[in-house]
Amino acid sequence: MRWVQRLVPWTFMLWTAGAAAQDSLTVNGDIDVRWVQASGVTSFLNGGLGLLRFDPDHEGIRLGRAFLAPNWRATDIVSVHAVIDAYDDYHERNAVDVSEFYVDVRPFPTGPIRWRARVGAFYMPVSLENRGIGWTSVYTITPSAVNTWIGEEFRTIGAEVEARWLGASSGYLGEVAVVAAAYGWNDPAGVLLASRGFGLTDRPSTLFGGLGRPPIEFYHEIDRKPGYYGGLSWKHHDWLEVRALRYDNHADPGAETDAGGYAWQTRFYSLGASVEPSEHWTLIAQYLNGNTAVGAGSQQFYMRFHADFALASFEWARERLTLRYDNFDTNQVSGFFFGPPSDETGHGWTLAWSHQSGEHWQFVAEWLRVASDFPPRIALGESAALVESQFQLAARYRFRLAW
Amino acid sequence: MIVDRDGRGVGEVVVAAMPAAVIPGAAPDPKPAVMDQRNLEFVPRVLAVAVGTSVEFPNNDSVSHQVYSFSPAKRFQLPLYKGQTHPPIIFDRPGLVVIGCNIHDAMVGYIYVTDAPYFGITAAAGGLTLKDLPKGDYRIAVWGPYIADAPASLVRTVHVDGDEGATARVQLSLALRARPEPRPRRRDWEY
Repeated sequence: MRWVQRLVPWTFMLWTAGAAAQDSLTVNGDIDVRWVQASGVTSFLNGGLGLLRFDPDHEGIRLGRAFLAPNWRATDIVSVHAVIDAYDDYHERNAVDVSEFYVDVRPFPTGPIRWRARVGAFYMPVSLENRGIGWTSVYTITPSAVNTWIGEEFRTIGAEVEARWLGASSGYLGEVAVVAAAYGWNDPAGVLLASRGFGLTDRPSTLFGGLGRPPIEFYHEIDRKPGYYGGLSWKHHDWLEVRALRYDNHADPGAETDAGGYAWQTRFYSLGASVEPSEHWTLIAQYLNGNTAVGAGSQQFYMRFHADFALASFEWARERLTLRYDNFDTNQVSGFFFGPPSDETGHGWTLAWSHQSGEHWQFVAEWLRVASDFPPRIALGESAALVESQFQLAARYRFRLAW
Repeated sequence: MIVDRDGRGVGEVVVAAMPAAVIPGAAPDPKPAVMDQRNLEFVPRVLAVAVGTSVEFPNNDSVSHQVYSFSPAKRFQLPLYKGQTHPPIIFDRPGLVVIGCNIHDAMVGYIYVTDAPYFGITAAAGGLTLKDLPKGDYRIAVWGPYIADAPASLVRTVHVDGDEGATARVQLSLALRARPEPRPRRRDWEY
Protein backbone atom coordinates (compact mmCIF):
# COMPACT_ATOMS: atom_id res chain seq x y z
CA MET A 1 0.00 0.00 0.00
CA ARG A 2 2.99 2.32 0.40
CA TRP A 3 3.19 2.83 -3.34
CA VAL A 4 -0.32 4.26 -3.29
CA GLN A 5 0.69 6.69 -0.54
CA ARG A 6 3.67 7.80 -2.61
CA LEU A 7 1.54 8.18 -5.71
CA VAL A 8 -0.97 10.60 -4.16
CA PRO A 9 1.26 13.73 -3.87
CA TRP A 10 2.69 13.12 -7.33
CA THR A 11 -0.74 13.01 -8.82
CA PHE A 12 -1.75 16.25 -7.18
CA MET A 13 1.30 17.89 -8.73
CA LEU A 14 0.29 16.53 -12.12
CA TRP A 15 -3.25 17.80 -11.55
CA THR A 16 -1.98 21.29 -10.92
CA ALA A 17 0.14 21.16 -14.06
CA GLY A 18 -2.65 19.73 -16.18
CA ALA A 19 -5.26 22.17 -14.91
CA ALA A 20 -4.04 24.76 -17.41
CA ALA A 21 -5.90 22.94 -20.18
CA GLN A 22 -9.55 23.91 -20.41
CA ASP A 23 -12.08 21.88 -18.43
CA SER A 24 -9.50 19.20 -17.73
CA LEU A 25 -9.96 19.13 -13.98
CA THR A 26 -13.40 18.77 -12.45
CA VAL A 27 -14.14 18.26 -8.78
CA ASN A 28 -17.44 16.93 -7.51
CA GLY A 29 -18.02 17.61 -3.84
CA ASP A 30 -20.62 16.61 -1.28
CA ILE A 31 -21.19 17.73 2.29
CA ASP A 32 -23.80 15.60 4.03
CA VAL A 33 -25.04 16.58 7.51
CA ARG A 34 -27.57 14.43 9.39
CA TRP A 35 -29.97 14.52 12.24
CA VAL A 36 -30.09 10.99 13.62
CA GLN A 37 -32.27 9.09 16.06
CA ALA A 38 -31.37 5.44 16.75
CA SER A 39 -32.45 2.54 18.95
CA GLY A 40 -30.63 -0.71 19.64
CA VAL A 41 -27.16 -1.55 20.89
CA THR A 42 -23.76 0.05 20.31
CA SER A 43 -22.87 0.08 16.63
CA PHE A 44 -20.01 -2.08 15.41
CA LEU A 45 -18.38 1.17 14.27
CA ASN A 46 -18.27 2.25 17.94
CA GLY A 47 -17.05 -1.04 19.39
CA GLY A 48 -20.33 -2.97 19.76
CA LEU A 49 -22.14 -5.55 17.67
CA GLY A 50 -25.00 -3.41 16.38
CA LEU A 51 -25.59 -3.61 12.63
CA LEU A 52 -26.41 0.04 11.94
CA ARG A 53 -24.17 3.04 11.53
CA PHE A 54 -25.51 5.04 14.48
CA ASP A 55 -26.67 4.01 17.96
CA PRO A 56 -28.33 5.65 21.01
CA ASP A 57 -24.93 7.08 22.11
CA HIS A 58 -24.30 8.55 18.67
CA GLU A 59 -27.43 10.48 17.77
CA GLY A 60 -28.33 14.08 17.01
CA ILE A 61 -26.41 16.18 14.51
CA ARG A 62 -23.75 14.11 12.75
CA LEU A 63 -21.47 14.46 9.77
CA GLY A 64 -22.80 11.89 7.32
CA ARG A 65 -19.84 12.33 5.05
CA ALA A 66 -17.91 15.01 3.23
CA PHE A 67 -16.05 14.14 0.08
CA LEU A 68 -14.21 15.63 -2.84
CA ALA A 69 -14.04 13.62 -6.04
CA PRO A 70 -11.47 15.10 -8.42
CA ASN A 71 -11.37 13.90 -12.00
CA TRP A 72 -8.41 14.94 -14.11
CA ARG A 73 -8.48 14.36 -17.83
CA ALA A 74 -4.85 13.74 -18.65
CA THR A 75 -5.48 13.05 -22.34
CA ASP A 76 -8.61 12.38 -24.40
CA ILE A 77 -8.59 8.73 -23.36
CA VAL A 78 -6.79 8.75 -19.99
CA SER A 79 -8.29 10.22 -16.85
CA VAL A 80 -7.45 10.02 -13.16
CA HIS A 81 -10.19 9.72 -10.51
CA ALA A 82 -10.01 9.97 -6.77
CA VAL A 83 -12.46 10.16 -3.88
CA ILE A 84 -11.18 11.89 -0.75
CA ASP A 85 -13.46 11.40 2.27
CA ALA A 86 -13.91 12.87 5.71
CA TYR A 87 -15.97 11.15 8.43
CA ASP A 88 -16.42 11.96 12.11
CA ASP A 89 -16.00 8.34 13.31
CA TYR A 90 -12.38 7.80 12.38
CA HIS A 91 -11.25 7.02 15.97
CA GLU A 92 -7.79 8.55 15.94
CA ARG A 93 -7.13 7.32 12.42
CA ASN A 94 -6.92 9.46 9.30
CA ALA A 95 -9.61 12.13 9.57
CA VAL A 96 -9.27 12.62 5.84
CA ASP A 97 -8.58 9.57 3.73
CA VAL A 98 -8.78 8.25 0.20
CA SER A 99 -11.37 5.61 -0.76
CA GLU A 100 -10.74 5.45 -4.51
CA PHE A 101 -7.78 6.42 -6.64
CA TYR A 102 -7.39 5.09 -10.15
CA VAL A 103 -6.42 5.75 -13.74
CA ASP A 104 -9.16 5.11 -16.30
CA VAL A 105 -8.10 4.36 -19.88
CA ARG A 106 -10.92 4.45 -22.40
CA PRO A 107 -9.81 4.45 -26.07
CA PHE A 108 -12.29 5.67 -28.67
CA PRO A 109 -14.04 2.66 -30.18
CA THR A 110 -12.90 1.82 -33.71
CA GLY A 111 -15.43 -1.00 -33.99
CA PRO A 112 -18.39 -2.28 -31.99
CA ILE A 113 -16.14 -3.41 -29.09
CA ARG A 114 -14.99 -0.67 -26.73
CA TRP A 115 -12.09 -1.51 -24.42
CA ARG A 116 -11.61 0.09 -21.05
CA ALA A 117 -9.01 -0.43 -18.34
CA ARG A 118 -8.78 0.80 -14.77
CA VAL A 119 -5.60 0.66 -12.71
CA GLY A 120 -5.43 1.71 -9.07
CA ALA A 121 -7.90 1.30 -6.21
CA PHE A 122 -11.61 1.21 -7.03
CA TYR A 123 -14.90 -0.56 -6.30
CA MET A 124 -15.76 -3.70 -8.24
CA PRO A 125 -18.63 -3.29 -10.75
CA VAL A 126 -21.20 -5.29 -8.81
CA SER A 127 -23.86 -2.90 -7.56
CA LEU A 128 -26.91 -1.67 -9.42
CA GLU A 129 -27.82 0.35 -6.35
CA ASN A 130 -24.63 2.26 -5.50
CA ARG A 131 -24.33 4.07 -8.81
CA GLY A 132 -23.36 7.42 -7.33
CA ILE A 133 -19.89 8.86 -6.87
CA GLY A 134 -17.96 7.29 -3.98
CA TRP A 135 -20.22 4.24 -3.51
CA THR A 136 -23.31 6.32 -2.74
CA SER A 137 -26.78 5.02 -3.53
CA VAL A 138 -29.08 7.21 -5.57
CA TYR A 139 -32.10 5.57 -3.89
CA THR A 140 -31.49 5.61 -0.13
CA ILE A 141 -28.97 6.93 2.39
CA THR A 142 -28.07 3.42 3.57
CA PRO A 143 -27.30 0.81 0.92
CA SER A 144 -28.49 -2.80 1.16
CA ALA A 145 -26.66 -5.37 3.31
CA VAL A 146 -25.06 -6.73 0.13
CA ASN A 147 -23.64 -3.41 -0.99
CA THR A 148 -22.84 -2.23 2.55
CA TRP A 149 -20.53 -5.23 2.81
CA ILE A 150 -18.91 -4.66 -0.60
CA GLY A 151 -18.19 -1.05 0.36
CA GLU A 152 -16.78 -2.06 3.73
CA GLU A 153 -14.43 -4.92 2.91
CA PHE A 154 -13.58 -4.68 -0.78
CA ARG A 155 -11.53 -2.46 -2.98
CA THR A 156 -9.88 -3.67 -6.13
CA ILE A 157 -6.25 -2.61 -5.76
CA GLY A 158 -4.98 -3.75 -9.10
CA ALA A 159 -6.08 -3.71 -12.71
CA GLU A 160 -9.40 -4.31 -14.44
CA VAL A 161 -10.11 -4.71 -18.14
CA GLU A 162 -13.54 -4.44 -19.72
CA ALA A 163 -14.64 -5.27 -23.27
CA ARG A 164 -18.04 -3.77 -24.07
CA TRP A 165 -20.02 -4.55 -27.18
CA LEU A 166 -21.94 -1.44 -28.17
CA GLY A 167 -25.11 -2.53 -29.93
CA ALA A 168 -26.17 0.80 -31.44
CA SER A 169 -24.12 0.36 -34.61
CA SER A 170 -25.83 -2.99 -35.21
CA GLY A 171 -29.28 -1.56 -34.63
CA TYR A 172 -29.56 -3.03 -31.11
CA LEU A 173 -30.16 -0.55 -28.34
CA GLY A 174 -28.13 -2.30 -25.70
CA GLU A 175 -24.70 -3.40 -24.57
CA VAL A 176 -22.98 -6.55 -23.38
CA ALA A 177 -19.80 -6.27 -21.34
CA VAL A 178 -17.25 -8.74 -20.01
CA VAL A 179 -14.99 -7.61 -17.19
CA ALA A 180 -12.00 -9.23 -15.49
CA ALA A 181 -9.62 -8.01 -12.79
CA ALA A 182 -6.53 -9.08 -10.91
CA TYR A 183 -5.67 -7.44 -7.61
CA GLY A 184 -3.78 -7.72 -4.35
CA TRP A 185 -4.01 -6.15 -0.89
CA ASN A 186 -7.48 -7.54 -0.16
CA ASP A 187 -6.57 -10.64 1.89
CA PRO A 188 -8.39 -9.63 5.10
CA ALA A 189 -11.76 -9.45 3.27
CA GLY A 190 -14.18 -11.71 5.15
CA VAL A 191 -13.08 -10.85 8.69
CA LEU A 192 -15.90 -8.36 9.16
CA LEU A 193 -18.52 -10.94 8.23
CA ALA A 194 -17.22 -13.26 10.95
CA SER A 195 -16.85 -10.41 13.48
CA ARG A 196 -20.17 -8.65 13.01
CA GLY A 197 -22.07 -10.37 10.20
CA PHE A 198 -23.84 -8.35 7.53
CA GLY A 199 -24.79 -4.81 8.51
CA LEU A 200 -26.55 -1.81 6.98
CA THR A 201 -24.43 1.32 7.00
CA ASP A 202 -23.38 3.99 4.53
CA ARG A 203 -19.85 3.96 5.89
CA PRO A 204 -17.55 2.36 3.32
CA SER A 205 -13.95 1.81 4.36
CA THR A 206 -11.13 4.08 3.23
CA LEU A 207 -7.80 2.80 1.92
CA PHE A 208 -5.63 3.72 4.90
CA GLY A 209 -8.20 3.68 7.69
CA GLY A 210 -10.22 0.94 9.33
CA LEU A 211 -13.73 0.22 10.58
CA GLY A 212 -14.79 -0.48 14.16
CA ARG A 213 -13.06 -0.13 17.49
CA PRO A 214 -10.28 -1.17 17.50
CA PRO A 215 -10.29 -0.59 13.75
CA ILE A 216 -10.17 -3.58 11.41
CA GLU A 217 -8.11 -2.87 8.31
CA PHE A 218 -8.95 -4.52 5.01
CA TYR A 219 -6.22 -3.55 2.57
CA HIS A 220 -3.16 -5.70 3.24
CA GLU A 221 -1.31 -8.23 1.13
CA ILE A 222 -0.58 -11.24 3.33
CA ASP A 223 0.00 -14.31 1.14
CA ARG A 224 1.53 -12.62 -1.94
CA LYS A 225 -1.06 -14.29 -4.17
CA PRO A 226 -3.25 -12.14 -6.42
CA GLY A 227 -7.04 -12.47 -6.42
CA TYR A 228 -9.40 -12.12 -9.33
CA TYR A 229 -12.96 -11.44 -10.34
CA GLY A 230 -14.81 -11.87 -13.58
CA GLY A 231 -18.16 -10.43 -14.50
CA LEU A 232 -20.79 -10.07 -17.19
CA SER A 233 -23.25 -7.27 -17.71
CA TRP A 234 -26.06 -6.79 -20.15
CA LYS A 235 -28.09 -3.66 -20.85
CA HIS A 236 -31.22 -4.16 -22.89
CA HIS A 237 -32.74 -0.98 -24.32
CA ASP A 238 -32.94 1.50 -21.52
CA TRP A 239 -35.06 -0.50 -19.11
CA LEU A 240 -33.15 -3.66 -18.17
CA GLU A 241 -29.67 -4.16 -16.76
CA VAL A 242 -28.30 -7.48 -15.49
CA ARG A 243 -24.96 -7.94 -13.72
CA ALA A 244 -23.22 -11.13 -12.64
CA LEU A 245 -19.87 -11.32 -10.90
CA ARG A 246 -17.65 -14.08 -9.52
CA TYR A 247 -15.14 -12.95 -6.89
CA ASP A 248 -12.28 -14.98 -5.42
CA ASN A 249 -9.50 -13.24 -3.51
CA HIS A 250 -7.53 -16.49 -3.88
CA ALA A 251 -6.07 -16.03 -0.41
CA ASP A 252 -4.11 -18.76 1.35
CA PRO A 253 -6.17 -19.30 4.53
CA GLY A 254 -3.04 -20.53 6.33
CA ALA A 255 -1.10 -17.30 5.70
CA GLU A 256 -0.56 -14.79 8.49
CA THR A 257 1.76 -11.91 9.25
CA ASP A 258 3.98 -11.37 12.28
CA ALA A 259 1.70 -8.50 13.25
CA GLY A 260 -1.26 -10.88 13.53
CA GLY A 261 -2.90 -10.23 10.16
CA TYR A 262 -4.68 -13.21 8.65
CA ALA A 263 -5.57 -14.00 5.06
CA TRP A 264 -9.24 -14.87 4.60
CA GLN A 265 -10.03 -16.94 1.55
CA THR A 266 -13.26 -15.30 0.41
CA ARG A 267 -15.28 -16.27 -2.63
CA PHE A 268 -18.72 -15.27 -3.73
CA TYR A 269 -20.92 -14.79 -6.70
CA SER A 270 -23.42 -12.02 -7.14
CA LEU A 271 -26.34 -11.72 -9.52
CA GLY A 272 -28.40 -8.56 -9.85
CA ALA A 273 -31.02 -7.05 -12.12
CA SER A 274 -32.47 -3.58 -12.46
CA VAL A 275 -35.72 -2.97 -14.33
CA GLU A 276 -37.18 0.41 -15.19
CA PRO A 277 -40.61 -0.44 -16.58
CA SER A 278 -41.67 3.21 -16.90
CA GLU A 279 -40.12 6.59 -16.45
CA HIS A 280 -41.20 6.62 -12.79
CA TRP A 281 -40.38 3.15 -11.52
CA THR A 282 -37.11 1.37 -10.77
CA LEU A 283 -37.04 -2.20 -9.43
CA ILE A 284 -33.73 -3.73 -8.31
CA ALA A 285 -32.88 -7.14 -6.88
CA GLN A 286 -29.48 -8.59 -6.03
CA TYR A 287 -28.41 -11.95 -4.64
CA LEU A 288 -24.98 -12.76 -3.21
CA ASN A 289 -23.76 -16.15 -2.02
CA GLY A 290 -20.31 -17.28 -0.93
CA ASN A 291 -17.97 -18.61 1.72
CA THR A 292 -14.85 -17.60 3.63
CA ALA A 293 -12.12 -19.59 5.38
CA VAL A 294 -9.22 -18.69 7.66
CA GLY A 295 -6.63 -20.84 9.41
CA ALA A 296 -5.06 -24.13 8.37
CA GLY A 297 -5.84 -27.77 9.12
CA SER A 298 -8.64 -29.21 11.21
CA GLN A 299 -9.08 -25.98 13.20
CA GLN A 300 -9.90 -23.99 10.08
CA PHE A 301 -12.72 -21.50 10.50
CA TYR A 302 -15.14 -21.89 7.60
CA MET A 303 -18.30 -19.87 7.10
CA ARG A 304 -20.98 -19.71 4.42
CA PHE A 305 -22.95 -16.55 3.81
CA HIS A 306 -25.76 -15.20 1.73
CA ALA A 307 -27.52 -11.85 1.36
CA ASP A 308 -30.17 -10.49 -0.96
CA PHE A 309 -32.47 -7.53 -1.34
CA ALA A 310 -35.35 -6.25 -3.40
CA LEU A 311 -35.96 -2.55 -3.91
CA ALA A 312 -38.76 -0.55 -5.49
CA SER A 313 -38.33 3.15 -6.17
CA PHE A 314 -40.81 5.66 -7.52
CA GLU A 315 -39.56 8.96 -8.90
CA TRP A 316 -41.63 11.97 -9.82
CA ALA A 317 -40.76 15.65 -10.31
CA ARG A 318 -38.09 16.34 -7.68
CA GLU A 319 -39.11 13.51 -5.36
CA ARG A 320 -38.05 9.91 -5.00
CA LEU A 321 -39.66 7.35 -2.70
CA THR A 322 -37.90 4.03 -2.13
CA LEU A 323 -38.77 0.88 -0.18
CA ARG A 324 -36.27 -1.97 0.25
CA TYR A 325 -36.32 -5.37 1.92
CA ASP A 326 -33.03 -6.96 2.96
CA ASN A 327 -32.44 -10.56 3.98
CA PHE A 328 -29.11 -12.02 5.07
CA ASP A 329 -27.45 -14.84 6.99
CA THR A 330 -24.07 -16.33 7.84
CA ASN A 331 -23.44 -19.90 8.91
CA GLN A 332 -20.26 -20.98 10.70
CA VAL A 333 -19.56 -24.52 9.56
CA SER A 334 -16.32 -25.26 11.41
CA GLY A 335 -13.57 -23.77 13.56
CA PHE A 336 -13.50 -21.28 16.39
CA PHE A 337 -13.67 -17.49 16.21
CA PHE A 338 -15.66 -15.83 18.97
CA GLY A 339 -16.91 -18.61 21.15
CA PRO A 340 -20.59 -18.50 20.26
CA PRO A 341 -20.82 -19.35 16.54
CA SER A 342 -20.91 -16.53 13.98
CA ASP A 343 -24.34 -17.60 12.79
CA GLU A 344 -26.24 -14.50 11.83
CA THR A 345 -29.77 -14.30 10.54
CA GLY A 346 -31.48 -11.02 9.83
CA HIS A 347 -33.85 -9.03 7.74
CA GLY A 348 -34.51 -5.34 7.39
CA TRP A 349 -36.86 -2.74 5.92
CA THR A 350 -35.72 0.63 4.63
CA LEU A 351 -38.01 3.47 3.59
CA ALA A 352 -36.50 6.65 2.13
CA TRP A 353 -37.82 9.83 0.63
CA SER A 354 -35.47 12.20 -1.14
CA HIS A 355 -36.19 15.69 -2.40
CA GLN A 356 -33.99 17.59 -4.81
CA SER A 357 -34.00 21.33 -4.21
CA GLY A 358 -32.39 23.26 -7.00
CA GLU A 359 -29.05 22.25 -8.40
CA HIS A 360 -27.14 21.89 -5.16
CA TRP A 361 -29.36 20.71 -2.33
CA GLN A 362 -30.81 17.31 -1.63
CA PHE A 363 -32.83 16.40 1.46
CA VAL A 364 -33.40 12.78 2.42
CA ALA A 365 -35.47 11.21 5.19
CA GLU A 366 -34.78 7.55 5.86
CA TRP A 367 -36.23 5.06 8.31
CA LEU A 368 -34.55 1.72 8.75
CA ARG A 369 -35.48 -1.28 10.92
CA VAL A 370 -33.39 -4.43 11.20
CA ALA A 371 -34.18 -7.57 13.18
CA SER A 372 -31.24 -9.93 13.61
CA ASP A 373 -29.88 -12.83 15.64
CA PHE A 374 -26.14 -13.15 16.26
CA PRO A 375 -24.93 -15.40 19.14
CA PRO A 376 -21.56 -13.61 19.69
CA ARG A 377 -23.56 -10.74 21.22
CA ILE A 378 -24.06 -12.98 24.26
CA ALA A 379 -20.32 -12.59 25.02
CA LEU A 380 -20.96 -8.84 25.40
CA GLY A 381 -23.77 -9.50 27.89
CA GLU A 382 -26.48 -8.77 25.32
CA SER A 383 -29.13 -11.01 23.92
CA ALA A 384 -28.42 -12.66 20.58
CA ALA A 385 -31.72 -11.48 19.10
CA LEU A 386 -32.04 -7.77 18.50
CA VAL A 387 -34.26 -5.23 16.78
CA GLU A 388 -32.56 -1.98 15.79
CA SER A 389 -34.02 1.08 14.12
CA GLN A 390 -32.64 4.34 12.87
CA PHE A 391 -34.20 7.51 11.54
CA GLN A 392 -32.08 10.00 9.62
CA LEU A 393 -32.70 13.38 8.04
CA ALA A 394 -29.89 14.29 5.68
CA ALA A 395 -29.14 17.69 4.14
CA ARG A 396 -26.67 17.30 1.29
CA TYR A 397 -24.95 20.14 -0.48
CA ARG A 398 -23.39 19.07 -3.74
CA PHE A 399 -21.22 21.10 -6.05
CA ARG A 400 -19.13 20.74 -9.13
CA LEU A 401 -16.10 22.82 -9.95
CA ALA A 402 -14.30 22.82 -13.27
CA TRP A 403 -11.05 24.31 -14.52
CA MET B 1 -46.64 9.39 -44.19
CA ILE B 2 -44.99 6.58 -42.21
CA VAL B 3 -47.23 4.42 -40.05
CA ASP B 4 -46.51 1.39 -37.93
CA ARG B 5 -48.31 -1.92 -38.41
CA ASP B 6 -51.19 -0.69 -36.25
CA GLY B 7 -51.59 2.46 -38.34
CA ARG B 8 -50.02 4.93 -35.90
CA GLY B 9 -47.63 7.57 -37.25
CA VAL B 10 -43.89 7.08 -36.70
CA GLY B 11 -41.63 10.06 -36.07
CA GLU B 12 -37.84 10.38 -36.46
CA VAL B 13 -37.91 8.57 -39.81
CA VAL B 14 -35.73 9.71 -42.70
CA VAL B 15 -37.50 9.83 -46.06
CA ALA B 16 -35.31 10.42 -49.12
CA ALA B 17 -36.68 10.93 -52.65
CA MET B 18 -34.36 10.13 -55.54
CA PRO B 19 -35.54 11.17 -59.02
CA ALA B 20 -35.49 8.45 -61.67
CA ALA B 21 -34.07 10.91 -64.17
CA VAL B 22 -31.28 13.38 -63.43
CA ILE B 23 -32.75 16.81 -62.71
CA PRO B 24 -30.30 19.63 -63.46
CA GLY B 25 -29.76 21.88 -60.47
CA ALA B 26 -31.71 19.63 -58.13
CA ALA B 27 -28.82 19.25 -55.68
CA PRO B 28 -27.94 22.69 -54.36
CA ASP B 29 -24.97 23.33 -52.11
CA PRO B 30 -25.64 21.51 -48.88
CA LYS B 31 -26.48 23.79 -45.97
CA PRO B 32 -24.47 23.34 -42.74
CA ALA B 33 -26.30 21.33 -40.09
CA VAL B 34 -26.06 21.01 -36.32
CA MET B 35 -26.24 18.06 -33.96
CA ASP B 36 -26.36 19.51 -30.46
CA GLN B 37 -25.73 17.81 -27.13
CA ARG B 38 -28.18 18.67 -24.38
CA ASN B 39 -29.01 16.81 -21.17
CA LEU B 40 -26.87 13.86 -22.24
CA GLU B 41 -28.73 13.43 -25.52
CA PHE B 42 -27.99 14.26 -29.13
CA VAL B 43 -30.44 16.87 -30.42
CA PRO B 44 -31.79 16.00 -32.92
CA ARG B 45 -31.31 12.28 -32.36
CA VAL B 46 -31.86 11.64 -36.09
CA LEU B 47 -30.38 14.03 -38.64
CA ALA B 48 -30.58 13.70 -42.44
CA VAL B 49 -28.00 15.54 -44.54
CA ALA B 50 -26.91 15.63 -48.16
CA VAL B 51 -23.52 14.27 -49.13
CA GLY B 52 -20.93 17.00 -48.56
CA THR B 53 -22.76 18.64 -45.64
CA SER B 54 -20.71 19.99 -42.76
CA VAL B 55 -22.19 19.25 -39.34
CA GLU B 56 -21.32 21.10 -36.18
CA PHE B 57 -21.39 19.37 -32.80
CA PRO B 58 -21.75 22.07 -30.14
CA ASN B 59 -21.73 20.90 -26.52
CA ASN B 60 -24.45 22.60 -24.49
CA ASP B 61 -24.06 20.34 -21.46
CA SER B 62 -22.12 21.23 -18.34
CA VAL B 63 -20.11 18.02 -18.74
CA SER B 64 -17.65 17.00 -21.43
CA HIS B 65 -18.50 14.69 -24.30
CA GLN B 66 -16.31 12.67 -26.64
CA VAL B 67 -18.26 12.15 -29.82
CA TYR B 68 -17.19 9.41 -32.20
CA SER B 69 -18.31 7.23 -35.06
CA PHE B 70 -16.82 4.04 -36.42
CA SER B 71 -19.44 3.70 -39.18
CA PRO B 72 -17.86 3.04 -42.61
CA ALA B 73 -19.56 6.14 -44.09
CA LYS B 74 -17.68 8.43 -41.67
CA ARG B 75 -15.16 7.62 -38.97
CA PHE B 76 -14.21 10.42 -36.61
CA GLN B 77 -13.34 11.25 -33.01
CA LEU B 78 -14.26 14.61 -31.60
CA PRO B 79 -13.45 15.42 -27.96
CA LEU B 80 -15.93 18.13 -26.98
CA TYR B 81 -14.93 19.79 -23.80
CA LYS B 82 -16.77 22.62 -22.17
CA GLY B 83 -15.79 25.99 -23.58
CA GLN B 84 -13.99 24.57 -26.59
CA THR B 85 -15.18 24.72 -30.18
CA HIS B 86 -14.26 22.40 -32.98
CA PRO B 87 -14.48 22.80 -36.75
CA PRO B 88 -17.48 20.99 -38.23
CA ILE B 89 -17.22 17.46 -39.61
CA ILE B 90 -17.90 17.05 -43.34
CA PHE B 91 -19.99 14.01 -44.24
CA ASP B 92 -18.71 13.22 -47.72
CA ARG B 93 -20.06 9.70 -48.33
CA PRO B 94 -23.63 8.42 -48.39
CA GLY B 95 -24.67 5.98 -45.68
CA LEU B 96 -25.72 5.74 -42.07
CA VAL B 97 -23.38 7.19 -39.45
CA VAL B 98 -24.10 6.07 -35.88
CA ILE B 99 -22.82 8.64 -33.40
CA GLY B 100 -21.81 7.77 -29.82
CA CYS B 101 -20.17 9.41 -26.82
CA ASN B 102 -17.18 7.63 -25.32
CA ILE B 103 -17.96 9.02 -21.87
CA HIS B 104 -21.73 8.43 -21.91
CA ASP B 105 -22.53 5.13 -23.61
CA ALA B 106 -26.29 5.75 -23.43
CA MET B 107 -25.99 8.68 -25.88
CA VAL B 108 -26.75 7.55 -29.42
CA GLY B 109 -27.39 9.70 -32.48
CA TYR B 110 -27.87 8.92 -36.17
CA ILE B 111 -26.77 10.92 -39.20
CA TYR B 112 -28.25 9.66 -42.46
CA VAL B 113 -26.10 10.91 -45.31
CA THR B 114 -27.91 10.75 -48.62
CA ASP B 115 -27.16 11.62 -52.23
CA ALA B 116 -30.89 12.10 -52.87
CA PRO B 117 -31.72 15.76 -53.61
CA TYR B 118 -34.98 15.71 -51.61
CA PHE B 119 -35.24 14.37 -48.10
CA GLY B 120 -36.56 15.11 -44.63
CA ILE B 121 -37.51 13.60 -41.29
CA THR B 122 -41.05 12.73 -40.24
CA ALA B 123 -42.68 14.63 -37.40
CA ALA B 124 -43.90 12.77 -34.32
CA ALA B 125 -47.24 12.04 -36.05
CA GLY B 126 -45.41 10.35 -38.92
CA GLY B 127 -46.00 13.00 -41.59
CA LEU B 128 -43.50 14.69 -43.88
CA THR B 129 -43.99 17.01 -46.84
CA LEU B 130 -41.21 17.43 -49.39
CA LYS B 131 -41.72 20.61 -51.41
CA ASP B 132 -40.77 21.79 -54.88
CA LEU B 133 -40.29 18.37 -56.42
CA PRO B 134 -40.28 18.62 -60.22
CA LYS B 135 -42.52 16.30 -62.25
CA GLY B 136 -41.31 12.76 -62.63
CA ASP B 137 -40.82 9.40 -60.98
CA TYR B 138 -39.13 9.14 -57.61
CA ARG B 139 -37.71 6.28 -55.66
CA ILE B 140 -38.59 6.81 -51.98
CA ALA B 141 -36.24 5.29 -49.39
CA VAL B 142 -37.19 5.12 -45.71
CA TRP B 143 -34.93 4.62 -42.69
CA GLY B 144 -35.53 5.01 -38.96
CA PRO B 145 -33.55 3.84 -35.95
CA TYR B 146 -36.56 2.05 -34.46
CA ILE B 147 -37.82 0.45 -37.68
CA ALA B 148 -37.30 -3.31 -37.70
CA ASP B 149 -38.42 -3.84 -41.35
CA ALA B 150 -35.61 -4.31 -43.89
CA PRO B 151 -34.99 -0.94 -45.65
CA ALA B 152 -35.31 -2.60 -49.09
CA SER B 153 -38.88 -3.70 -48.26
CA LEU B 154 -39.88 -0.08 -47.61
CA VAL B 155 -38.72 1.38 -50.92
CA ARG B 156 -41.61 2.87 -52.92
CA THR B 157 -41.85 4.46 -56.35
CA VAL B 158 -43.96 7.61 -56.59
CA HIS B 159 -45.00 9.62 -59.59
CA VAL B 160 -45.19 13.38 -59.07
CA ASP B 161 -47.51 14.98 -61.53
CA GLY B 162 -47.56 18.76 -61.92
CA ASP B 163 -49.11 20.93 -59.18
CA GLU B 164 -51.04 18.07 -57.65
CA GLY B 165 -47.95 16.57 -56.00
CA ALA B 166 -48.14 13.02 -54.77
CA THR B 167 -48.64 11.22 -51.49
CA ALA B 168 -47.11 8.00 -50.31
CA ARG B 169 -48.11 6.01 -47.26
CA VAL B 170 -45.62 3.45 -46.04
CA GLN B 171 -46.89 0.95 -43.51
CA LEU B 172 -44.41 -1.11 -41.53
CA SER B 173 -45.07 -4.82 -41.18
CA LEU B 174 -42.89 -5.48 -38.13
CA ALA B 175 -43.32 -3.94 -34.68
CA LEU B 176 -41.09 -0.97 -33.89
CA ARG B 177 -38.04 -1.53 -31.75
CA ALA B 178 -38.29 0.04 -28.32
CA ARG B 179 -37.38 3.69 -28.38
CA PRO B 180 -35.49 5.31 -25.51
CA GLU B 181 -37.81 7.43 -23.44
CA PRO B 182 -36.77 10.77 -22.04
CA ARG B 183 -36.31 10.15 -18.33
CA PRO B 184 -35.96 12.93 -15.79
CA ARG B 185 -33.07 11.24 -13.97
CA ARG B 186 -30.43 12.92 -11.89
CA ARG B 187 -27.75 11.34 -13.97
CA ASP B 188 -25.17 13.95 -13.12
CA TRP B 189 -24.56 12.16 -9.83
CA GLU B 190 -24.12 8.82 -11.45
CA TYR B 191 -20.98 7.50 -12.99
